[in-house]
Amino acid sequence: MFDTLFIGLSLSSILLLVALGLAVTYGAMGIINMAHGEMVMIGAYVAVLSNIWLGTNLLLTIPLAFLVTAALGYGLERLVVRRLYGRLLDTLLATWGIAILLQQAIRLEFGLSFFGIHVEGLGSGLQNVPVPQFLQGTLGLFGLQLNSYRVFIVLVTLVLAGLTWFTLYRTPLGMKVRAIIRNPQMAAACGIDVKATNAITFALGSGLAGVAGVLMAGFRSVSPDMGATMVVDGFMVVVTGGVGSLLGTMAAAGILGEINALVAIFFNEIAGRASVLLVVILVILLRPAGLFSFKGR
Amino acid sequence: MTSLLTNYRIWAYLLFFAVLLALPLTGDDFWLNRVAKYLCFGMLGAAIALTWGYAGVLNLGQGLFFGLGAYAMAMPLKLASYTSLQQGSDQPVPDFMLWNAQPGASTDLCCITPGSWLWIPFQSQWFGVAMAIIAPVIVATLLGRLIFGQRISGVFVSIITLALVLLARLLLVDAQPLTNGFNGLTDLGYFNLFGTELDPYAVTTYYVITIALIVVLVLARLLVATRAGTVLQATRDSQTRALYLGYDVPAYQTFFFAVSAAISGLAGMLYVVVAEFASPSFLDLTFSVSMVVWAAVGGRGSILGACIGAILINVLEARASETEALVEAWKAIVGLVFVLVVIWLPQGLGGFAHDMMRRLTGRWRPEALKQEVRQ
Repeated sequence: MFDTLFIGLSLSSILLLVALGLAVTYGAMGIINMAHGEMVMIGAYVAVLSNIWLGTNLLLTIPLAFLVTAALGYGLERLVVRRLYGRLLDTLLATWGIAILLQQAIRLEFGLSFFGIHVEGLGSGLQNVPVPQFLQGTLGLFGLQLNSYRVFIVLVTLVLAGLTWFTLYRTPLGMKVRAIIRNPQMAAACGIDVKATNAITFALGSGLAGVAGVLMAGFRSVSPDMGATMVVDGFMVVVTGGVGSLLGTMAAAGILGEINALVAIFFNEIAGRASVLLVVILVILLRPAGLFSFKGR
Repeated sequence: MTSLLTNYRIWAYLLFFAVLLALPLTGDDFWLNRVAKYLCFGMLGAAIALTWGYAGVLNLGQGLFFGLGAYAMAMPLKLASYTSLQQGSDQPVPDFMLWNAQPGASTDLCCITPGSWLWIPFQSQWFGVAMAIIAPVIVATLLGRLIFGQRISGVFVSIITLALVLLARLLLVDAQPLTNGFNGLTDLGYFNLFGTELDPYAVTTYYVITIALIVVLVLARLLVATRAGTVLQATRDSQTRALYLGYDVPAYQTFFFAVSAAISGLAGMLYVVVAEFASPSFLDLTFSVSMVVWAAVGGRGSILGACIGAILINVLEARASETEALVEAWKAIVGLVFVLVVIWLPQGLGGFAHDMMRRLTGRWRPEALKQEVRQ
């Protein structure tokens, strides 16, 4: 029973990793960033490339991936997303186009493949990143044998969620972001530079996706299309939890991950996945504002 | 004043129809078959324009309706296939069912695999045709009642439809003994239309699909011009206002949602006739999003524009895929064009053409442009 719950917990932590960044961008800015999964993918490729070319350890690439994807997110906000504020469904479409561009950039090795140049670690094939020695094997905890890397992911996810919470609720930037969530016009009237804050928020959300990518590179193979399904799961978590509510996102990730694991154990893998989709549909139908939400705007 | 305006619209439709009807003159059977497939996608574009452009409802699960139509047609065609007649039973039985059957099970359609009795009515091709339309309409009506009755709108509708199509895909793949799972239904027979077998590469088949597309476009265009269509656009622009004016908003939205589903079911059905397969990939998320891309590039606010957008993108893609190096680059180009269109041409090529015609006919009113579809 406890090992099932632990599998659920590790599924939850992966969902939360992807959803954290989305909770920030979608919750705060109303941007449906379909390229979020590709940010995770880019983060994973940062881990692959720095492992091949720089020989760095998986843990050391976490800050590097954060910086790369945050910079990418910042550029994206400046170039594309900024032009689409207030056109919610259009952001969904434009970022879908960007997602395709990012995938193809990796597949075509940034266009180098046209000139016959091949970069090791890029291209459409599968890549793998070795996990550091001390995270391999299992860990004895409360009389259970748990996979060390999964325990590590759960811990890192908790730390990241804590940091995100701290940024949003205990820093001047977070204060501005929360003001914008409640009412962008009023926030602007109070002297908050909405555009600059949004750009930083978007960069932050993208950076979180990059870190998620590094962690995922440790337990699954990395490929250009790995992000496509993730963004859907991430959105379901954010919407189920309630837009703009960080605690809601965390709770929803926990609930959906556990439902998936429990149903999968008692029935089968497909039933587990199906029950998650069903729960999401029911939550939106019965509580369109999400499980945990406040009245805003 | 409006007569001139409607005139060039009518001319655009007529020109498009004339091009489609004249295409077999090229005499290239291979391309005719391909274009016939893309005409089915054109119907999907029109279906998306109907809900997205006119109702403001972005359905990210249109593939569900397309898939329902496709499977409803593929089932009778599978039974009509010669492979189904060679299974040692006096009745046609799909080959994959025999592979899945328990040893010693009766090789009758009633009980060869659990649930195989569902296939019995599909021995009639016309039952398949009817179900290809009716099943999507029933699903859309129930779903529409639920969603719009709760006054759920905008992105939440998109997420629900998206979750639903993924759920349906899972169940479809899981029901392997009934649907042949991942492999889908292949080796299909020909559809028999009043004694004429519809060979996918025959000109007759092309004309059947062209005429279906013309009927769909004309009916959809007439439908949005009715009073109901006007009310629908009012609900798109402001749901609350339409509600306070006394209109039953959910009823209008559900009705057009169901019409769009019927068109998609028809498209799926005809696609199976020319493509000779049905597979769970029709319910992939990427396919449903692709339809939205076609409609967005063609022009979400114009039924004809969205339809032409779908056909054009697919023809170009087919051309590009003939050159090995272009296959991957083509996807990047589509992505880039799509981003640019969303930012600078929110009304797509159709909206652009419309503005150009207004300029040429001297009816240029910049303020009319400001009325973009929002949310």
